[in-house]
Amino acid sequence: MLEAHTRRGKVLLQLIVTLLAIPFLIPLVVMVQGSFAGQGWGNYAAVLSLPQLPGFFLNSAIISALTIALALLCTLLAAFGFAKLHIRGKEFFFWVLLAALTLPEIVLVTPLFVTATTTNIYNTYWAVVLPLAALQIPFTILITRTFMAGIPDALIEAARIDGANTWRAFWHVVLPLTRPIAAAVIVLTLISAWNAYLLPLIFLQDASAQVVTQVPSFFQGQYNDDQTKVLASAVITAIPIIVAYLCLQKLFERGLSAGALK
Amino acid sequence: MTDMLTKGGADASVPSTGAGARSHGRAPASRRRSMRAPGFPWILPALVVSSGLVYFCIGYNGWVSLLDWNGISPIQTFVGLDNYVKAFTDPIFWGTLQHTVVYFVVTYVAQTVLGIVLAVLLHSRVRLAGVYKVIIFVPVILAPAIMAPVFRIMFAGDGPVNDFLAAIGLGFLTQPWLAQSSTALGVLMIMQIWNTTGISFILFYAAISQVEHDVIEAARLDGAGSIRIVWSIVVPSVRGTIVALAMLSAIGTLKLFDIPYLVTSGGPNFATEFLGTYIYRQAVPLGDVGYASALSIILLVLALGMAFVLSIRGNEERQAKKGALR
Repeated sequence: MLEAHTRRGKVLLQLIVTLLAIPFLIPLVVMVQGSFAGQGWGNYAAVLSLPQLPGFFLNSAIISALTIALALLCTLLAAFGFAKLHIRGKEFFFWVLLAALTLPEIVLVTPLFVTATTTNIYNTYWAVVLPLAALQIPFTILITRTFMAGIPDALIEAARIDGANTWRAFWHVVLPLTRPIAAAVIVLTLISAWNAYLLPLIFLQDASAQVVTQVPSFFQGQYNDDQTKVLASAVITAIPIIVAYLCLQKLFERGLSAGALK
Repeated sequence: MTDMLTKGGADASVPSTGAGARSHGRAPASRRRSMRAPGFPWILPALVVSSGLVYFCIGYNGWVSLLDWNGISPIQTFVGLDNYVKAFTDPIFWGTLQHTVVYFVVTYVAQTVLGIVLAVLLHSRVRLAGVYKVIIFVPVILAPAIMAPVFRIMFAGDGPVNDFLAAIGLGFLTQPWLAQSSTALGVLMIMQIWNTTGISFILFYAAISQVEHDVIEAARLDGAGSIRIVWSIVVPSVRGTIVALAMLSAIGTLKLFDIPYLVTSGGPNFATEFLGTYIYRQAVPLGDVGYASALSIILLVLALGMAFVLSIRGNEERQAKKGALR
């Protein structure tokens, strides 16, 4: 885009980019540096030796997996229905779903909080998974429907003429072609489930049921003012998601920017 | 997403010709049957899981917003629109709206400018462009919940920011950033910009890839300088993305909860209270469920209003999406 022909121009360009990028690194540097203050690796040893720690990750993994499974199942079925099948009042139902696109999750808080206090569904996975999936589904259906609409009808028809019923046509013809969009749906749902804070805050109050986003506050409670351990726990929690991003860079960037454009 | 779309289409356009020929006679009947295949059961799970929960919650909010109730007690007093009247006469509520507007304007302008500048720079011949892209995008994937303690420590009275200011001779600027009303909101905005500039960067980066190189070359031959090219060619061609991002960050700001709750808990003295944190405060710690519901309904109306504006701009935005996701 910009072209620097002289050596000085090139150096200048590189310098500007570096200066603009450094602020994005500073919080990460502060985090890592702070986590080594005082006892050094001892902070990590202390955090990792806590018996509750694997539980946080396990709970996050289970909640993410359940949310992805539920959202993906609902999305693929509904997107196929909307894209390829006859439904009376199809567009009406579509708008009923889409109206939830802009819904802030805080709006769910009061009803869910009251329901939880009266029915005692605290500390169960589904109390978090259901609302997470409910908020994710409208958008994933929107992008998946558009994608499935691009699959030619003739292909489904051909399968049907060969004796396949709707389900088999969906399973053997449509699903294999839907893989790229399914990957985007999985990444989007994974990030929003793994990073969710508000819903677990309300429903998962027992330390044994909590998730990774609650790790820093848990350690604040445990270690009071020992910030080095809080930071060490933040680093440990950040690592898996950074590794996942570095492995699937393109997918994350594409999926998340699609998600931003709801 | 569009490239996936066309790819899906291309892959899909290889039906076995044998089946096509054989089906010639029966095709119309089969098509009619295919259109009649009941589709409703396919969309039912999504409707139950998503719309069922969402509309239940909206209806519930609507009903409870007319009550004076703490959420647990069997005594519910019907108070009509009192909770709404209370909101409109509540200075903290007006404060949250004011914070929302300020927060939106500042973070949106900063993310747009930074996003475009970074995208242009990384489209130029810069070494290690891939590394810079990763550095800028990593904050997007990190949960605010994980990073909040880091920002609290950075801006603490004895934190690295004040140490740095003192070290470079600006000691008179050191202050308890998070403990005073005048600066706390600024810290939250810095965290937001740090957190989500990666998204606007990626969108602009993709949109700029669509700008015709011929046009830029022609401008250069006509003697246009780099800044002139960015301002007169690049910026106008990503206008769709700029508009889309405005609407999206407006809705994002209305939804805001994690960052203010985790960094300042809405304080000091409600200086960083947002609708999200205020609803939570009323519903959970204070137990004024009726008032929290009324605030939720107001928030919902505001968000739907924004969505309406967004869909009016539909055309422009759709173009941006096409450009952005290719």
